[in-house]
Amino acid sequence: MTKDRARILVWQLLILVVLLAAWQYLTGIKAISKTPGLYWIDPFFISRPSAIAERFVYLMSPKVRLGIWQMALSTVQSTIWGFLVGISTGFVAGLVLGRSDRLARILEPYIVAFNSLPRIALVPLITMIFGFGLLAKIVLAWSIVFFIVFFNTFQGARSVDADLIHSARFLGASERQIMTTVIVPSALAWTFASLTPSISFALIGVVVGEFIGGESGGGLGYLIIQSLGTLNAADMMVALIVLGAIGIVMALGIKQVEARLLRWRPEYQKR
Amino acid sequence: MVTSRVRISIRDLSKTFRQGAREVPAVSSVSFHVHEREFVAIVGPSGCGKSTVLNMIGGLIAPSAGEILVDGQPVLGAPPPTVGYVFQKDTVFPWRTVERNIALGLEYRNVPAAERAARVREAITLAGLQGFEDAYPATLSGGMRQRVALMRSLVVEPEILLMDEPFGALDTHTKLNLHAELLSLWQAKQQTVIFVTHDLSEAITLADRVVVMTRRPGHIKQIYDVKLPRPRDVIHLRETDEYSREYSEIWHALGEEFRACPA
Repeated sequence: MTKDRARILVWQLLILVVLLAAWQYLTGIKAISKTPGLYWIDPFFISRPSAIAERFVYLMSPKVRLGIWQMALSTVQSTIWGFLVGISTGFVAGLVLGRSDRLARILEPYIVAFNSLPRIALVPLITMIFGFGLLAKIVLAWSIVFFIVFFNTFQGARSVDADLIHSARFLGASERQIMTTVIVPSALAWTFASLTPSISFALIGVVVGEFIGGESGGGLGYLIIQSLGTLNAADMMVALIVLGAIGIVMALGIKQVEARLLRWRPEYQKR
Repeated sequence: MVTSRVRISIRDLSKTFRQGAREVPAVSSVSFHVHEREFVAIVGPSGCGKSTVLNMIGGLIAPSAGEILVDGQPVLGAPPPTVGYVFQKDTVFPWRTVERNIALGLEYRNVPAAERAARVREAITLAGLQGFEDAYPATLSGGMRQRVALMRSLVVEPEILLMDEPFGALDTHTKLNLHAELLSLWQAKQQTVIFVTHDLSEAITLADRVVVMTRRPGHIKQIYDVKLPRPRDVIHLRETDEYSREYSEIWHALGEEFRACPA
């Protein structure tokens, strides 16, 4: 088992090294020797590992106004806030509408309409309303996460097993107790299952928000757009690598949380 | 044979389900009484409406006609607090451990934590679930889950217990074990029980009286007294002549219904 894992890790690292070496090597050969600017694979567009590392170190140094960690922190903060607010509001809305047929039917066209609107089209408006700081990014992330969680919880609240409710009633549960011990836990199982896509979409929302409205708040999306302005592929790569790392850490973290919250489910049981 | 008071009284009970434009009669004119501490089994071919009768007694569905009185009070929607119900389907809460499932009814009734813990512990011991207190239902076998469901109903000490094919999905061996346990639990508390099943041997093993229902629309074909002494040994019982005699007598009546029923 552990031997197998070690072997897989070796292969994974090997692939990384080969890729980086090839990248470094191929972007170094010129098409016509000594003529500047003519490459088989032009580092102007995709940069090179050495240049990226150099820029990484530079962006970490105190010489820059907004360092790479500050940028990353801004992105992470907005993502987590958008995620948390989106989950809690989505859960409450899903639960309320899931248990009230009438309200769900009244609001249905509005929900469908708002959800089918491409969220990216809202970015300028959200920026106009909430300014160029953290808030606009959080609102954008929220607007995506909310609907993911809402639809999941809604489904969960509707598909509560009627026999579980009957059982609770026979055991003497009041309506309030049925809510807290049957409906909320059933719906939560669905909500928890939407955590993983939610965190990814929160990050997408934040980065898109930073593309347009990142000026004062910074953020990795802002770094990317700024690098586009200065045609600096190395900086863009730095931002992408950090973003990728953030994405992985968040997804792994959420997987842990999910496994803990849903530990009663057969797929999380260790037999 | 029984002179004690009537706890459940059913008169001319009928149920018609609506399927689109069609009206499908499920139960027609069922009448019987269940006395204090009596164990009554309802048997009949599948789809004969025996579960529907139980659902109506529990207040889960409303009758189309007729009357159900539990302790003289008509059943209207909400189940009376003295009634417990064990479903055929697995209704153990998957997100609660064994212990917390059994504690449910006591939590609902605001029983103090210390007393709750003691009663749950006792129930776990009675059901032989020691060592599984903190297990989630997903890790348990079907028989153990149904045992949890049974103890969850019994721990609040219902006076009347409605059981809807609770052991229907279990294998014969597990079933026999649960029969023995149910009988000893019942012997101790003497609840009034209505037990629905399609398994005649189960009905005879457990009950004082067996109500045989006809195929759909179900009505009562005949009611038999099971004249087997108690306490009963569920294994040994089946080897006795008395058991065979009861069985063949009721089987004859039931067989007519099975034969007439297109499978």
